[in-house]
Amino acid sequence: MLRRNSYTWAGFGLLVTGAIIFSASFFIFHISWLSALGVCMLVLSFILLALRRAIPNISPEVCGLLLETSVNNMATLIEELGIKSKAIYIPSSLSNKCPHAFIPLHSNGSTPRITRALPKRLIVRYGGGPEDVGLLFSTIGSTATGMLDTKPGATSNELETALTSLFTGKLGIADRTRVNTQNNHIQIEITNPRLETDADLSHQCLGGPLAAIVASVAAESWDKPMQISREEQRKGKYYVELEVLG
Amino acid sequence: MTIYNHYFITVAIVLLITTVILVAAGQTSLDIFYSLYVAEALVITELFVYFNKKSRRVINIVSLMLFVGFGIVLCLQVIKALTIF
Repeated sequence: MLRRNSYTWAGFGLLVTGAIIFSASFFIFHISWLSALGVCMLVLSFILLALRRAIPNISPEVCGLLLETSVNNMATLIEELGIKSKAIYIPSSLSNKCPHAFIPLHSNGSTPRITRALPKRLIVRYGGGPEDVGLLFSTIGSTATGMLDTKPGATSNELETALTSLFTGKLGIADRTRVNTQNNHIQIEITNPRLETDADLSHQCLGGPLAAIVASVAAESWDKPMQISREEQRKGKYYVELEVLG
Repeated sequence: MTIYNHYFITVAIVLLITTVILVAAGQTSLDIFYSLYVAEALVITELFVYFNKKSRRVINIVSLMLFVGFGIVLCLQVIKALTIF
């Protein structure tokens, strides 16, 4: 079935126009530069018609609705439980199959130490103490990490390449990323971000969608738990700072 | 701007600039025009390394088609040269 997106219309428009211009100028008028322009239009039409197949069928509005609903559900749950502590993004080796966000239910100021793989449940126990219980969430980052072709290594360059590939090529939500590592802190600069959400309680616990993706990918790269220590947006850039735990 | 728009606009601008330059230089051979278009499209495609698998696959098909066209142009030129000798 024909996918009627803007690429389809532009592609067919260029194809028809290019074919007419080329035929008329090459066979009838014998104008070489106009024939070349026709060929140029035909080449561009092939590219557009190919690209239409790469555009997802689902509209951005529907994707936005799904994301908002999911974030709202998480916010409701976090608000009802009165959780104030920040999420810890754990790699797939410590959760199940993909990275998850872990929020400890009781916080006494110290960061919980997760040493063994947590079961795939909402409420999980991570230690021997009676209060060593927390919530294990799948975030947007858990799914986004699965879109990477290979697991990135634990270096700034590899993380930068993985994040740029994800944000620019696969998700189309930012233009570029830059990663800088200092001791156990990772600073990420995202240029021209195009994903925004409300700063509710779930945002304070889990971080924004971009920060959640960054934290999940970084946790998977370093194979260590990560915590979002800072995130802010200014002058068309989004800054995320992660703390490597453990 | 998504990476697809960015890619397409880059290819379109480069091809149009090439057309203007070649016309200004007095070039009339369509083979030269087409060969340069194909070379530029292939180079730009390679420079866009962040395409996802699906996009890369469909663009590679277009690149292959363009390259086959280039092969045909080359064969015709070789035949033409051989017939002269």
